[in-house]
Amino acid sequence: MTDVAQRPPAPPGPNDPYGQVPRGAPAPPRPNDPTTFASGFQELPTLPVGDLRPAGDAGYSAPRRALRRPWVVQLIAFAILLAVWQYLTVASDRVPSIEKVVSFMWTEVTGGSHGGMLVGEFWGPLGLSLQRYAIGLAIGIPAGAVLGLALGTSSWVRGLLNDTTLVLLALPAVVWAFLASLWFGLTSTAPIVAVVLTAIPFVAINFSSGVRSIDPALMEMSKAYQVSRRNQVVDLLLGGTLPNAFTGVRLAFTTGWNSLLIVEWFSATAGVGWRARLWYDALRYAGFVGWILLFVLLITLLDRLVLRRLERHAFQWNQKPTLSFAEDWGM
Amino acid sequence: MATVLIENLTKIYPPTITYPHRVQALGGVNMSVTGNVFVAVLGPSGSGKTTLLNIVAGVETPTSGSVRAVQDGVPAQVGYVFQEPRLLPWRTVLNNMLYVQDRKSDRSRREAEFYLTMVGLNEVAHLYPSQLSAGMQQRVGIARAFLVNPDILLMDEPFSHMDALTGRSLREYLQRVWLHTRKTALFVTHDVSEAVELADRIVMLRPGGVVFDDIPVNLPRPRHPDDPAVRAVEGEVLRRFDSMEAAVRFGAQAG
Ligand SMILES: Nc1ncnc2c1ncn2[C@@H]1O[C@H](COP(=O)(O)OP(=O)(O)OP(=O)(O)O)[C@@H](O)[C@H]1O
Ligand SMILES: [Mg+2]
Repeated sequence: MTDVAQRPPAPPGPNDPYGQVPRGAPAPPRPNDPTTFASGFQELPTLPVGDLRPAGDAGYSAPRRALRRPWVVQLIAFAILLAVWQYLTVASDRVPSIEKVVSFMWTEVTGGSHGGMLVGEFWGPLGLSLQRYAIGLAIGIPAGAVLGLALGTSSWVRGLLNDTTLVLLALPAVVWAFLASLWFGLTSTAPIVAVVLTAIPFVAINFSSGVRSIDPALMEMSKAYQVSRRNQVVDLLLGGTLPNAFTGVRLAFTTGWNSLLIVEWFSATAGVGWRARLWYDALRYAGFVGWILLFVLLITLLDRLVLRRLERHAFQWNQKPTLSFAEDWGM
Repeated sequence: MATVLIENLTKIYPPTITYPHRVQALGGVNMSVTGNVFVAVLGPSGSGKTTLLNIVAGVETPTSGSVRAVQDGVPAQVGYVFQEPRLLPWRTVLNNMLYVQDRKSDRSRREAEFYLTMVGLNEVAHLYPSQLSAGMQQRVGIARAFLVNPDILLMDEPFSHMDALTGRSLREYLQRVWLHTRKTALFVTHDVSEAVELADRIVMLRPGGVVFDDIPVNLPRPRHPDDPAVRAVEGEVLRRFDSMEAAVRFGAQAG
């Protein structure tokens, strides 16, 4: 990090905002030309900006430093989870053991025999579910965004649709599951519609609250400066909505996945949810647990690797440190 | 030439749920500012100074009366330094500057950088407002006002949010920049020495938004706050405020 205060002042030349004048030609005198001032400006004390790097963990001993690594923490959490599972396996015969689940899922992936007429299936149901999910989100997120922007910017639209949106938000996914299968039967349409309908209200409500969280003082500023419509939409409206928008999109991803599973469980003939239901009905708990775990794993990875990163990017302007008691108490 | 013509300007805020009374922010202000002059509007807190600037900037509408801000017959472009910085928190300093530009060309970028250098902030052009001190944010607001090449410069206590030391050097700066640009300026403040140091003319407001005095400041520039001549005008301004207050108090007792 360079110390700004110690940097030599920039020469006046490159800062000349009227540098459009052709070389050699004498610059036409401008009555208001502030460039003549350039040397004077450098006398202004530049304030030291300070070191913006995070404080780091240099003050901790080696083992404690290792314990503070995020991946170490996650590893510990995972180990605890496995230990609990192992314990439950021993304590109850209703819980399939880790080895059973793993070997069952291996049979599924390789397409081996589960005994009788049952053979493993993996990529088929998984691919189909992901496809339904992608289509549902591709429709639901833009639709929710448009609805949310309309709700946020127009009080008329708000009066018209706000309550409806809130009702949609409150309806549990299982209701969509039943409704969608009633309307569309055992087709791919039902799960897609369910994903769309779950995603829309989450996205809409968050976009709308994002728009409404924009400081009216900034709108006044834009008005005083007669800022162009384009800049107002891109920088003020969308820029200010982005962080909330990401929260909405993230929620749409997770709740959409959940409702997909439920619809597939109750009213589909293929997909991840259907496969989990199949093994549940067949009293093959290893299969049931395996598919549910896969389902959880997928959404967790998606959230970790994609959504959270995007969200952090959207929030990067908000540099306020988050409080940590442990650090405040020197732990 | 830029002109601000304010005629019989009144602003009354309607009652609200939390404060069920009408509030008179401005009570019949008459004022005319023409050409390259620096006018300070001086008044205590709540005397309608911000309201006055908001109406001139077209951000608020008058209850009655009229305001015209024109440059050679067409509506004037204003540069407004607000009482608070009013930057987009989610845009960098540079992009905040570019926000008020119509197009984001190389040229407008260089202009933005020039004015950031003017307020000593070119080095932090790529930081977000939350990473700057309050005084630095306010300086971005000042740079932004100059960037639009305004016909009329409106400033609302631009230095009240920063420490006295930075405020002092920026004040000196503003004086020098203004001497070169000579933009028509309306500068709102509650600080008497600031008004005397910067202005050609001081319009004094009292609570209720009523102009009660308007005195010229015919001192050579650059001025220094410690000059005896500047001090003398300060004393005179304060004396007029005191007699106004006494008159208001006496009037209240009599009525
Ligand atoms: N939006 C508003 N709604 C209702 N009343 C308002 C509003 N804005 C200002 N006022 C009232 O108008 C009066 C003048 O306010 P204004 O902000 O113009 O004062 P000011 O001179 O700028 O004060 P300060 O020096 O504290 O900034 C105050 O009594 C204030 O309460
Ligand atoms: Mg004010």
